[in-house]
Amino acid sequence: MATDDPGNRRPSPLSLSSSFRQGLMSDQISEEQEAESQSHVVAVSLVDSTPLLWRMQDLRAVRGQGLVGALVGSLARVPRQNGRMGRPLQLLQEEQRLLGEQGAIAMATRKQVSEERRSLVFESFDSYRSYEEQTVLALEDKKSSLLRAMTTPTPHTESKHVALRGHLETLDHHFTFPRSGLAVQLSTARAGLTYCPEDRVYLQADRSPRGPVSPQSEAKYQVFRDLRGRGFYLTSAGKFGGDFLVYPGDPLRFHSHFIAICLSLDESMCLLDVLTVARLGSNVKKTVLLCSATPEGGVVYTSLQWSGMV
Amino acid sequence: IDRCTPKKQPTNWIQQHPVYQGMKSLEVGDSAQIHAAFLVYMDLSEARHWNKVSYMKSPELEVVLLEGRELEGGPVQTVLPLPVHQNVNHRSLRRVLDRGFPLLLCAVGSDSTLVYQRMTDGLVTPDPPVGPFQDVDRRHQRKRRQQD
Repeated sequence: MATDDPGNRRPSPLSLSSSFRQGLMSDQISEEQEAESQSHVVAVSLVDSTPLLWRMQDLRAVRGQGLVGALVGSLARVPRQNGRMGRPLQLLQEEQRLLGEQGAIAMATRKQVSEERRSLVFESFDSYRSYEEQTVLALEDKKSSLLRAMTTPTPHTESKHVALRGHLETLDHHFTFPRSGLAVQLSTARAGLTYCPEDRVYLQADRSPRGPVSPQSEAKYQVFRDLRGRGFYLTSAGKFGGDFLVYPGDPLRFHSHFIAICLSLDESMCLLDVLTVARLGSNVKKTVLLCSATPEGGVVYTSLQWSGMV
Repeated sequence: IDRCTPKKQPTNWIQQHPVYQGMKSLEVGDSAQIHAAFLVYMDLSEARHWNKVSYMKSPELEVVLLEGRELEGGPVQTVLPLPVHQNVNHRSLRRVLDRGFPLLLCAVGSDSTLVYQRMTDGLVTPDPPVGPFQDVDRRHQRKRRQQD
């Protein structure tokens, strides 16, 4: 019976032996960090039911506990690509639940915002530049554009210039800056990264109640918790037709060893599907892992590999 | 052409084979599975020249199981032959694994194609990719991208 334990990590083919040694050293450092991050409570923002992390210290803490998540934000400097993503970090449902069970997660509840408070919130948005300041600036902008229109040589008639000059002279009296034209700076970065209460209240989505846990998601969670407890890192495996990809260490340093497929012990699968998934696994040099939660609370694993018999 | 002589029926050698008849006597109740088991038996014993192949009934599963050694003195392995369109669940696979021997699952197609898969309890690390490894430089990456 062969078991895979994180002590027998194989480096990815692209790493050299020196970086492997460095990796071992950084393992020691990360253990200290892991102890620190155990006590850290991360702040989760919910968009519908999707859990997101915004703050750097939260991302670091969560990674220190062996939870990988997925970056889903676009980077301001390189927006039109998805090779490199930025914050926020989206957590798997299983990761969120695991953090919740450890008491390491805090979800700010949306309080009932009173009308008075709402107006206070909108008042605070004037912090960028007050209405008066913006009125003055807008008036100056309008004057300079009118001047520009008057002084540029165009084939317009003289009467147009006269009209423009007249307009300019009366501008000071007639100019009104509509409130809808007010420029407002909404600090989305601040809202996510700190507990700035006014901004968070405005940007937070309604927290939807978590529905009843289906037996499939319960089974998936049992497998996730068991494998995480054994020291493996797990990410979602949609690209490989499975439930989780199982890494012996941090995904930045290793290739995954297993494609985990979670099913119940009595769930019936067509043999053709077993062959499909085994073939896929052998093509990408990963072992397919059939995982089932037992009624006693443990998880049984069956490794599925190509036999080598042609 | 003599049309009066009735065409001689080809002998069904499978049904007359002693091993097949032995499997039938196990009274598993699934003739498709017995046929699959027989084909795997013949493949292991005659084509792959396994050292010893025997068949028995699995009490919990109502199927014919095969057991054998690939080489003389080698480890005993269990072989579970199943028609490819049959369903299987994890619990029955675990029961066969409980016998304590490494398990080979064999899927038998309707055209008698045989596909063997190894099933093991626990987490078996896959074999690492074979070297030598070369870092691809930018030119090759660009070329590969053009080919895609």
